[in-house]
Amino acid sequence: MINRRMVLGLMVLAACSPKRIQQQPIMQMGDVVAGSDSRVAVAAAESDAERRALAMRRDSIANAALAGCTPSICDAVGRGEVALGMNESQVLAATRTTDGAWTARRSTGSAVLVPRSPDELPRDMIGNVAMVQLRNGQVASYTYRDARGLRVVDSPADATADARTAAMADALIREADEMVANGDMVGALDRYDRASTLKPRDAMLEYRIASILDRSLRPVEALMRYQRFLHQMELEKIEARGDAYAKLADAIARARERVIILEKR
Amino acid sequence: MLDAFVRRLARMTTRVACAAVLAGASLACASRSVARIDPGTVTDLSGRWNDTDSRLVANKLIEESLTNPWAKRYAELHGGEAPVIIIGEFSNRTMEHIPVGTFVRDLERAYIGSGVVRVVASSTEREDVRAERQDQQQYARADSRARIGQEQGAKYMLQGELQAIEDGSGREKVVFYQVDATLVDLESNTKVWFGQHKIKKYIERKPFGW
Repeated sequence: MINRRMVLGLMVLAACSPKRIQQQPIMQMGDVVAGSDSRVAVAAAESDAERRALAMRRDSIANAALAGCTPSICDAVGRGEVALGMNESQVLAATRTTDGAWTARRSTGSAVLVPRSPDELPRDMIGNVAMVQLRNGQVASYTYRDARGLRVVDSPADATADARTAAMADALIREADEMVANGDMVGALDRYDRASTLKPRDAMLEYRIASILDRSLRPVEALMRYQRFLHQMELEKIEARGDAYAKLADAIARARERVIILEKR
Repeated sequence: MLDAFVRRLARMTTRVACAAVLAGASLACASRSVARIDPGTVTDLSGRWNDTDSRLVANKLIEESLTNPWAKRYAELHGGEAPVIIIGEFSNRTMEHIPVGTFVRDLERAYIGSGVVRVVASSTEREDVRAERQDQQQYARADSRARIGQEQGAKYMLQGELQAIEDGSGREKVVFYQVDATLVDLESNTKVWFGQHKIKKYIERKPFGW
Protein backbone atom coordinates (compact mmCIF):
# COMPACT_ATOMS: atom_id res chain seq x y z
CA MET A 1 0.00 0.00 0.00
CA ILE A 2 2.75 2.40 1.01
CA ASN A 3 4.71 1.48 -2.11
CA ARG A 4 1.68 2.21 -4.33
CA ARG A 5 1.25 5.63 -2.70
CA MET A 6 4.91 6.38 -3.18
CA VAL A 7 4.77 5.44 -6.86
CA LEU A 8 1.61 7.56 -7.29
CA GLY A 9 3.28 10.49 -5.54
CA LEU A 10 6.35 10.19 -7.75
CA MET A 11 4.15 10.08 -10.86
CA VAL A 12 2.31 13.23 -9.78
CA LEU A 13 5.65 14.94 -9.09
CA ALA A 14 6.97 13.89 -12.49
CA ALA A 15 3.83 15.21 -14.19
CA CYS A 16 4.14 18.60 -12.46
CA SER A 17 7.78 19.15 -13.34
CA PRO A 18 8.42 20.81 -16.74
CA LYS A 19 9.24 18.51 -19.62
CA ARG A 20 12.91 18.62 -20.49
CA ILE A 21 13.81 18.99 -24.12
CA GLN A 22 16.49 16.51 -24.99
CA GLN A 23 18.29 18.18 -27.87
CA GLN A 24 21.91 18.11 -28.79
CA PRO A 25 23.43 21.61 -28.84
CA ILE A 26 24.27 22.83 -32.32
CA MET A 27 27.43 24.48 -31.03
CA GLN A 28 29.59 23.75 -28.01
CA MET A 29 32.45 25.31 -26.10
CA GLY A 30 35.64 24.95 -28.09
CA ASP A 31 33.96 24.72 -31.52
CA VAL A 32 35.26 27.15 -34.12
CA VAL A 33 33.01 29.49 -36.07
CA ALA A 34 34.61 30.09 -39.44
CA GLY A 35 34.79 33.65 -40.75
CA SER A 36 33.12 34.82 -43.93
CA ASP A 37 36.27 35.83 -45.80
CA SER A 38 36.06 32.99 -48.32
CA ARG A 39 32.41 33.81 -49.09
CA VAL A 40 33.34 37.47 -49.55
CA ALA A 41 36.19 36.51 -51.91
CA VAL A 42 33.83 34.42 -54.07
CA ALA A 43 31.30 37.27 -54.19
CA ALA A 44 34.07 39.72 -55.10
CA ALA A 45 35.24 37.57 -58.01
CA GLU A 46 31.67 37.09 -59.29
CA SER A 47 30.69 40.74 -59.01
CA ASP A 48 33.93 41.86 -60.64
CA ALA A 49 33.32 39.61 -63.65
CA GLU A 50 29.71 40.81 -63.97
CA ARG A 51 30.71 44.45 -63.66
CA ARG A 52 33.39 44.09 -66.32
CA ALA A 53 30.95 42.45 -68.74
CA LEU A 54 28.35 45.18 -68.17
CA ALA A 55 30.95 47.95 -68.48
CA MET A 56 32.11 46.49 -71.81
CA ARG A 57 28.52 46.34 -73.03
CA ARG A 58 27.97 49.93 -71.94
CA ASP A 59 31.14 51.09 -73.69
CA SER A 60 30.16 49.42 -76.94
CA ILE A 61 26.70 51.06 -76.72
CA ALA A 62 28.34 54.46 -76.13
CA ASN A 63 30.62 53.84 -79.08
CA ALA A 64 27.68 53.05 -81.35
CA ALA A 65 25.75 56.03 -79.98
CA LEU A 66 28.48 58.56 -80.66
CA ALA A 67 29.35 57.27 -84.11
CA GLY A 68 27.80 59.66 -86.61
CA CYS A 69 25.53 61.61 -84.25
CA THR A 70 24.57 65.20 -84.94
CA PRO A 71 26.32 67.81 -82.75
CA SER A 72 23.22 68.53 -80.64
CA ILE A 73 22.55 64.82 -80.06
CA CYS A 74 26.23 64.21 -79.25
CA ASP A 75 26.06 67.06 -76.72
CA ALA A 76 22.93 65.58 -75.15
CA VAL A 77 24.57 62.15 -74.90
CA GLY A 78 27.62 63.77 -73.32
CA ARG A 79 25.48 65.67 -70.83
CA GLY A 80 23.52 62.52 -70.10
CA GLU A 81 20.14 63.84 -71.25
CA VAL A 82 17.57 62.09 -73.38
CA ALA A 83 16.60 64.24 -76.39
CA LEU A 84 14.12 64.09 -79.23
CA GLY A 85 15.62 62.59 -82.38
CA MET A 86 17.95 60.17 -80.58
CA ASN A 87 18.12 56.55 -81.65
CA GLU A 88 17.84 53.60 -79.27
CA SER A 89 21.53 53.23 -78.49
CA GLN A 90 21.80 56.97 -77.87
CA VAL A 91 18.97 56.70 -75.33
CA LEU A 92 20.87 53.89 -73.57
CA ALA A 93 24.10 55.92 -73.67
CA ALA A 94 22.37 59.04 -72.33
CA THR A 95 20.85 57.13 -69.43
CA ARG A 96 24.11 55.19 -68.85
CA THR A 97 22.24 51.90 -69.06
CA THR A 98 22.39 48.75 -71.14
CA ASP A 99 19.53 46.96 -72.87
CA GLY A 100 19.10 44.91 -69.68
CA ALA A 101 17.45 47.91 -68.03
CA TRP A 102 14.66 48.20 -70.61
CA THR A 103 11.86 46.21 -72.10
CA ALA A 104 11.30 47.04 -75.75
CA ARG A 105 7.91 46.60 -77.39
CA ARG A 106 8.19 46.93 -81.14
CA SER A 107 5.73 47.17 -83.99
CA THR A 108 6.23 48.31 -87.55
CA GLY A 109 8.03 51.63 -87.57
CA SER A 110 7.69 52.30 -83.86
CA ALA A 111 9.02 51.03 -80.56
CA VAL A 112 8.36 51.74 -76.91
CA LEU A 113 11.09 51.42 -74.30
CA VAL A 114 9.79 50.79 -70.79
CA PRO A 115 12.01 50.28 -67.71
CA ARG A 116 12.36 46.63 -66.82
CA SER A 117 11.75 47.33 -63.14
CA PRO A 118 9.08 49.85 -62.08
CA ASP A 119 11.02 50.50 -58.84
CA GLU A 120 14.37 51.18 -60.50
CA LEU A 121 13.77 53.64 -63.29
CA PRO A 122 16.72 54.56 -65.48
CA ARG A 123 17.56 58.22 -65.07
CA ASP A 124 19.17 60.94 -67.09
CA MET A 125 20.43 64.27 -65.75
CA ILE A 126 16.88 65.67 -65.61
CA GLY A 127 15.00 62.89 -63.88
CA ASN A 128 13.68 59.33 -63.88
CA VAL A 129 12.70 58.20 -67.37
CA ALA A 130 9.45 56.25 -67.30
CA MET A 131 9.00 55.64 -71.04
CA VAL A 132 10.59 56.42 -74.40
CA GLN A 133 8.66 56.23 -77.68
CA LEU A 134 10.55 55.86 -80.94
CA ARG A 135 9.15 56.40 -84.39
CA ASN A 136 11.18 55.25 -87.38
CA GLY A 137 14.11 54.59 -85.05
CA GLN A 138 14.13 58.08 -83.52
CA VAL A 139 12.80 59.35 -80.20
CA ALA A 140 9.40 60.94 -80.81
CA SER A 141 8.53 61.49 -77.16
CA TYR A 142 9.72 60.53 -73.70
CA THR A 143 8.18 60.65 -70.26
CA TYR A 144 9.67 61.55 -66.90
CA ARG A 145 8.32 60.41 -63.60
CA ASP A 146 8.48 63.44 -61.31
CA ALA A 147 7.39 63.82 -57.72
CA ARG A 148 4.08 65.24 -59.00
CA GLY A 149 3.39 62.63 -61.67
CA LEU A 150 4.37 61.99 -65.25
CA ARG A 151 5.68 64.68 -67.62
CA VAL A 152 5.73 64.07 -71.34
CA VAL A 153 8.29 65.71 -73.61
CA ASP A 154 7.21 65.56 -77.24
CA SER A 155 8.40 68.90 -78.59
CA PRO A 156 11.69 70.80 -78.24
CA ALA A 157 9.87 73.46 -76.17
CA ASP A 158 8.91 70.81 -73.56
CA ALA A 159 12.54 69.92 -73.07
CA THR A 160 13.64 73.35 -71.82
CA ALA A 161 14.18 74.22 -68.18
CA ASP A 162 11.34 76.79 -68.36
CA ALA A 163 8.93 74.16 -69.63
CA ARG A 164 9.97 71.82 -66.85
CA THR A 165 9.41 74.54 -64.25
CA ALA A 166 6.02 75.39 -65.74
CA ALA A 167 5.04 71.71 -65.72
CA MET A 168 6.05 71.42 -62.06
CA ALA A 169 4.04 74.53 -61.18
CA ASP A 170 1.01 73.23 -63.06
CA ALA A 171 1.27 69.92 -61.23
CA LEU A 172 1.41 71.74 -57.89
CA ILE A 173 -1.63 73.83 -58.81
CA ARG A 174 -3.56 70.70 -59.82
CA GLU A 175 -2.65 69.08 -56.51
CA ALA A 176 -3.67 72.21 -54.59
CA ASP A 177 -7.02 72.41 -56.42
CA GLU A 178 -7.71 68.85 -55.39
CA MET A 179 -6.83 69.67 -51.78
CA VAL A 180 -9.19 72.63 -51.82
CA ALA A 181 -11.93 70.33 -53.06
CA ASN A 182 -11.15 67.94 -50.20
CA GLY A 183 -11.17 70.76 -47.66
CA ASP A 184 -7.44 70.71 -46.85
CA MET A 185 -6.83 74.46 -46.90
CA VAL A 186 -3.42 74.33 -45.19
CA GLY A 187 -2.06 71.81 -47.68
CA ALA A 188 -3.55 73.70 -50.61
CA LEU A 189 -2.03 76.96 -49.43
CA ASP A 190 1.37 75.28 -49.15
CA ARG A 191 1.15 73.91 -52.73
CA TYR A 192 -0.10 77.24 -54.16
CA ASP A 193 2.70 79.03 -52.34
CA ARG A 194 5.30 76.68 -53.84
CA ALA A 195 3.74 77.03 -57.28
CA SER A 196 3.86 80.84 -56.97
CA THR A 197 7.64 80.62 -56.47
CA LEU A 198 7.90 78.74 -59.77
CA LYS A 199 5.35 81.00 -61.52
CA PRO A 200 5.91 84.41 -59.95
CA ARG A 201 3.82 86.39 -62.43
CA ASP A 202 0.66 84.33 -62.41
CA ALA A 203 -2.17 86.63 -61.35
CA MET A 204 -4.75 83.84 -60.98
CA LEU A 205 -2.43 82.03 -58.59
CA GLU A 206 -2.30 85.15 -56.42
CA TYR A 207 -6.10 85.26 -56.48
CA ARG A 208 -6.33 81.61 -55.41
CA ILE A 209 -3.92 82.21 -52.52
CA ALA A 210 -5.82 85.34 -51.49
CA SER A 211 -9.17 83.56 -51.46
CA ILE A 212 -7.79 80.67 -49.38
CA LEU A 213 -6.29 83.11 -46.88
CA ASP A 214 -9.60 84.94 -46.80
CA ARG A 215 -11.49 81.72 -46.05
CA SER A 216 -8.92 80.74 -43.45
CA LEU A 217 -9.67 84.01 -41.57
CA ARG A 218 -6.28 85.57 -42.24
CA PRO A 219 -7.52 88.96 -43.50
CA VAL A 220 -4.27 90.92 -43.40
CA GLU A 221 -2.42 88.44 -45.58
CA ALA A 222 -5.49 88.00 -47.79
CA LEU A 223 -5.64 91.75 -48.33
CA MET A 224 -1.99 91.84 -49.37
CA ARG A 225 -2.54 88.99 -51.82
CA TYR A 226 -5.69 90.59 -53.28
CA GLN A 227 -3.71 93.79 -53.78
CA ARG A 228 -0.90 91.85 -55.45
CA PHE A 229 -3.47 90.17 -57.71
CA LEU A 230 -4.91 93.54 -58.74
CA HIS A 231 -1.44 94.95 -59.27
CA GLN A 232 -0.55 91.90 -61.37
CA MET A 233 -3.72 92.40 -63.41
CA GLU A 234 -2.78 96.02 -63.97
CA LEU A 235 0.64 94.94 -65.16
CA GLU A 236 -0.93 92.37 -67.44
CA LYS A 237 -3.30 95.00 -68.77
CA ILE A 238 -0.37 97.34 -69.46
CA GLU A 239 1.54 94.51 -71.06
CA ALA A 240 -1.48 93.54 -73.17
CA ARG A 241 -1.96 97.13 -74.16
CA GLY A 242 1.74 97.37 -75.02
CA ASP A 243 1.48 94.21 -77.08
CA ALA A 244 -1.60 95.53 -78.82
CA TYR A 245 0.09 98.84 -79.53
CA ALA A 246 3.18 97.02 -80.77
CA LYS A 247 1.03 94.91 -83.07
CA LEU A 248 -0.85 98.03 -84.09
CA ALA A 249 2.38 99.89 -84.80
CA ASP A 250 3.56 96.95 -86.83
CA ALA A 251 0.33 96.93 -88.77
CA ILE A 252 0.50 100.73 -89.28
CA ALA A 253 4.07 100.44 -90.56
CA ARG A 254 3.11 97.65 -92.94
CA ALA A 255 0.05 99.56 -94.15
CA ARG A 256 2.14 102.66 -94.81
CA GLU A 257 4.66 100.56 -96.67
CA ARG A 258 1.91 99.02 -98.78
CA VAL A 259 0.43 102.47 -99.45
CA ILE A 260 3.78 103.72 -100.71
CA ILE A 261 4.23 100.64 -102.90
CA LEU A 262 0.73 100.84 -104.27
CA GLU A 263 0.97 104.57 -104.88
CA LYS A 264 4.17 104.08 -106.82
CA ARG A 265 2.44 101.55 -109.03
CA MET B 1 63.93 18.78 29.94
CA LEU B 2 66.00 20.86 27.57
CA ASP B 3 66.06 17.97 25.14
CA ALA B 4 62.26 17.80 25.08
CA PHE B 5 62.00 21.58 24.52
CA VAL B 6 64.43 21.42 21.57
CA ARG B 7 62.41 18.59 20.04
CA ARG B 8 59.14 20.55 20.41
CA LEU B 9 60.77 23.63 18.86
CA ALA B 10 62.02 21.58 15.93
CA ARG B 11 58.52 20.10 15.39
CA MET B 12 56.95 23.55 15.47
CA THR B 13 59.49 24.90 13.01
CA THR B 14 58.78 22.01 10.66
CA ARG B 15 54.99 22.66 10.88
CA VAL B 16 55.39 26.37 10.21
CA ALA B 17 57.63 25.60 7.24
CA CYS B 18 55.12 23.07 5.86
CA ALA B 19 52.27 25.57 6.32
CA ALA B 20 54.28 28.23 4.48
CA VAL B 21 55.01 25.84 1.61
CA LEU B 22 51.31 24.83 1.35
CA ALA B 23 50.16 28.45 1.43
CA GLY B 24 52.68 29.34 -1.26
CA ALA B 25 51.58 26.42 -3.40
CA SER B 26 47.90 27.32 -3.09
CA LEU B 27 48.62 30.95 -3.97
CA ALA B 28 50.58 29.80 -6.98
CA CYS B 29 47.58 27.72 -8.15
CA ALA B 30 45.14 30.65 -7.80
CA SER B 31 47.27 33.07 -9.84
CA ARG B 32 45.89 34.46 -13.17
CA SER B 33 46.34 32.46 -16.35
CA VAL B 34 46.04 34.13 -19.77
CA ALA B 35 46.19 32.38 -23.12
CA ARG B 36 45.65 33.71 -26.64
CA ILE B 37 43.08 31.60 -28.48
CA ASP B 38 41.54 31.61 -31.95
CA PRO B 39 38.99 34.47 -32.16
CA GLY B 40 36.62 32.03 -33.87
CA THR B 41 36.51 29.71 -30.86
CA VAL B 42 33.19 29.37 -29.10
CA THR B 43 33.59 30.50 -25.48
CA ASP B 44 30.36 30.63 -23.52
CA LEU B 45 31.00 31.65 -19.94
CA SER B 46 27.99 33.55 -18.67
CA GLY B 47 25.38 32.79 -21.33
CA ARG B 48 25.01 36.44 -22.22
CA TRP B 49 25.56 37.88 -25.74
CA ASN B 50 29.18 37.36 -26.71
CA ASP B 51 31.63 37.43 -29.62
CA THR B 52 30.37 34.10 -30.99
CA ASP B 53 26.84 35.47 -31.31
CA SER B 54 28.19 38.56 -33.02
CA ARG B 55 30.17 36.42 -35.47
CA LEU B 56 27.20 34.15 -36.19
CA VAL B 57 24.99 37.14 -36.93
CA ALA B 58 27.62 38.74 -39.15
CA ASN B 59 28.17 35.49 -41.10
CA LYS B 60 24.47 34.97 -41.67
CA LEU B 61 23.77 38.55 -42.74
CA ILE B 62 26.81 38.58 -45.05
CA GLU B 63 25.76 35.31 -46.64
CA GLU B 64 22.16 36.45 -47.06
CA SER B 65 23.00 39.85 -48.47
CA LEU B 66 25.67 38.65 -50.88
CA THR B 67 23.59 35.80 -52.27
CA ASN B 68 20.43 37.89 -52.62
CA PRO B 69 20.04 39.17 -56.19
CA TRP B 70 19.13 42.77 -55.31
CA ALA B 71 22.65 44.16 -55.92
CA LYS B 72 23.04 42.19 -59.15
CA ARG B 73 19.66 43.44 -60.33
CA TYR B 74 20.64 47.01 -59.52
CA ALA B 75 23.92 46.65 -61.45
CA GLU B 76 22.06 45.25 -64.47
CA LEU B 77 19.63 48.15 -64.46
CA HIS B 78 22.37 50.75 -64.04
CA GLY B 79 24.91 49.62 -66.60
CA GLY B 80 27.14 47.74 -64.15
CA GLU B 81 27.27 50.35 -61.39
CA ALA B 82 27.32 48.95 -57.87
CA PRO B 83 24.64 50.36 -55.57
CA VAL B 84 25.77 52.83 -52.91
CA ILE B 85 24.65 52.20 -49.35
CA ILE B 86 24.98 54.03 -46.07
CA ILE B 87 25.01 52.29 -42.71
CA GLY B 88 22.16 53.60 -40.63
CA GLU B 89 21.21 52.81 -37.07
CA PHE B 90 21.15 49.35 -35.56
CA SER B 91 19.17 49.67 -32.37
CA ASN B 92 19.59 47.36 -29.44
CA ARG B 93 16.13 46.70 -28.02
CA THR B 94 17.27 44.20 -25.41
CA MET B 95 17.92 44.74 -21.71
CA GLU B 96 21.55 43.71 -22.16
CA HIS B 97 24.40 45.95 -23.13
CA ILE B 98 25.21 44.64 -26.61
CA PRO B 99 27.80 46.35 -28.80
CA VAL B 100 26.00 46.01 -32.15
CA GLY B 101 28.92 47.72 -33.87
CA THR B 102 30.90 44.47 -34.01
CA PHE B 103 28.69 42.64 -36.47
CA VAL B 104 27.72 45.82 -38.30
CA ARG B 105 31.42 46.47 -38.94
CA ASP B 106 31.87 42.88 -40.14
CA LEU B 107 29.01 43.42 -42.55
CA GLU B 108 30.46 46.72 -43.76
CA ARG B 109 33.86 45.11 -44.25
CA ALA B 110 32.34 42.30 -46.31
CA TYR B 111 30.42 44.77 -48.48
CA ILE B 112 33.52 46.80 -49.23
CA GLY B 113 35.68 43.71 -49.75
CA SER B 114 33.25 42.05 -52.12
CA GLY B 115 32.72 45.13 -54.27
CA VAL B 116 29.08 44.13 -54.62
CA VAL B 117 28.09 47.46 -53.12
CA ARG B 118 29.83 50.73 -52.38
CA VAL B 119 29.63 52.07 -48.85
CA VAL B 120 29.70 55.75 -47.92
CA ALA B 121 30.61 57.16 -44.51
CA SER B 122 27.76 57.21 -42.04
CA SER B 123 26.32 60.39 -40.56
CA THR B 124 28.62 60.27 -37.53
CA GLU B 125 31.75 59.39 -39.52
CA ARG B 126 31.32 62.09 -42.12
CA GLU B 127 31.28 64.94 -39.60
CA ASP B 128 35.02 64.48 -39.06
CA VAL B 129 35.62 64.14 -42.78
CA ARG B 130 33.70 67.29 -43.53
CA ALA B 131 35.55 69.21 -40.84
CA GLU B 132 38.87 68.11 -42.33
CA ARG B 133 37.72 69.06 -45.84
CA GLN B 134 36.62 72.44 -44.60
CA ASP B 135 39.97 72.88 -42.90
CA GLN B 136 41.79 72.05 -46.14
CA GLN B 137 39.99 74.88 -47.96
CA GLN B 138 41.91 77.35 -45.84
CA TYR B 139 45.20 75.66 -45.07
CA ALA B 140 45.99 73.11 -47.81
CA ARG B 141 47.76 73.86 -51.07
CA ALA B 142 45.26 74.57 -53.86
CA ASP B 143 46.22 71.55 -55.97
CA SER B 144 45.88 69.18 -53.01
CA ARG B 145 42.54 70.38 -51.62
CA ALA B 146 39.64 67.96 -51.44
CA ARG B 147 36.81 69.63 -53.34
CA ILE B 148 33.52 70.50 -51.70
CA GLY B 149 30.23 69.17 -53.07
CA GLN B 150 31.67 65.98 -54.50
CA GLU B 151 30.20 63.53 -51.99
CA GLN B 152 28.59 60.37 -53.29
CA GLY B 153 24.93 60.11 -52.36
CA ALA B 154 23.69 56.79 -51.07
CA LYS B 155 20.86 54.95 -52.77
CA TYR B 156 20.05 52.61 -49.88
CA MET B 157 20.30 52.71 -46.10
CA LEU B 158 21.06 49.65 -44.00
CA GLN B 159 19.09 49.63 -40.77
CA GLY B 160 18.40 47.02 -38.19
CA GLU B 161 17.48 46.07 -34.70
CA LEU B 162 18.27 43.44 -32.14
CA GLN B 163 15.59 42.03 -29.85
CA ALA B 164 15.66 39.44 -27.11
CA ILE B 165 13.16 37.26 -25.28
CA GLU B 166 14.14 35.67 -21.97
CA ASP B 167 12.47 32.85 -20.13
CA GLY B 168 13.73 31.16 -16.99
CA SER B 169 12.85 29.09 -14.00
CA GLY B 170 15.08 27.95 -11.15
CA ARG B 171 18.48 27.06 -12.46
CA GLU B 172 17.38 27.06 -16.12
CA LYS B 173 17.14 29.98 -18.49
CA VAL B 174 16.46 30.38 -22.20
CA VAL B 175 17.48 33.49 -24.12
CA PHE B 176 16.32 34.12 -27.66
CA TYR B 177 17.94 36.80 -29.80
CA GLN B 178 16.60 38.02 -33.13
CA VAL B 179 18.57 40.33 -35.39
CA ASP B 180 16.75 41.97 -38.31
CA ALA B 181 18.48 44.03 -40.96
CA THR B 182 16.85 45.85 -43.86
CA LEU B 183 18.04 47.82 -46.85
CA VAL B 184 15.70 50.68 -47.59
CA ASP B 185 15.61 52.68 -50.83
CA LEU B 186 16.22 56.28 -49.74
CA GLU B 187 14.04 57.68 -52.51
CA SER B 188 11.03 55.42 -52.43
CA ASN B 189 11.27 53.83 -48.93
CA THR B 190 11.03 50.42 -50.60
CA LYS B 191 12.72 47.62 -48.67
CA VAL B 192 14.91 45.80 -51.16
CA TRP B 193 16.46 43.28 -48.82
CA PHE B 194 15.63 41.81 -45.43
CA GLY B 195 18.14 39.77 -43.46
CA GLN B 196 17.40 37.91 -40.27
CA HIS B 197 19.23 35.72 -37.80
CA LYS B 198 17.93 34.00 -34.69
CA ILE B 199 19.92 32.57 -31.80
CA LYS B 200 18.45 30.50 -28.99
CA LYS B 201 20.52 29.72 -25.91
CA TYR B 202 19.72 27.29 -23.15
CA ILE B 203 21.59 28.16 -19.96
CA GLU B 204 21.66 25.73 -17.03
CA ARG B 205 23.32 26.61 -13.74
CA LYS B 206 24.87 23.56 -12.03
CA PRO B 207 23.80 22.98 -8.39
CA PHE B 208 27.40 22.73 -7.25
CA GLY B 209 30.62 24.25 -8.49
CA TRP B 210 31.68 27.73 -9.40
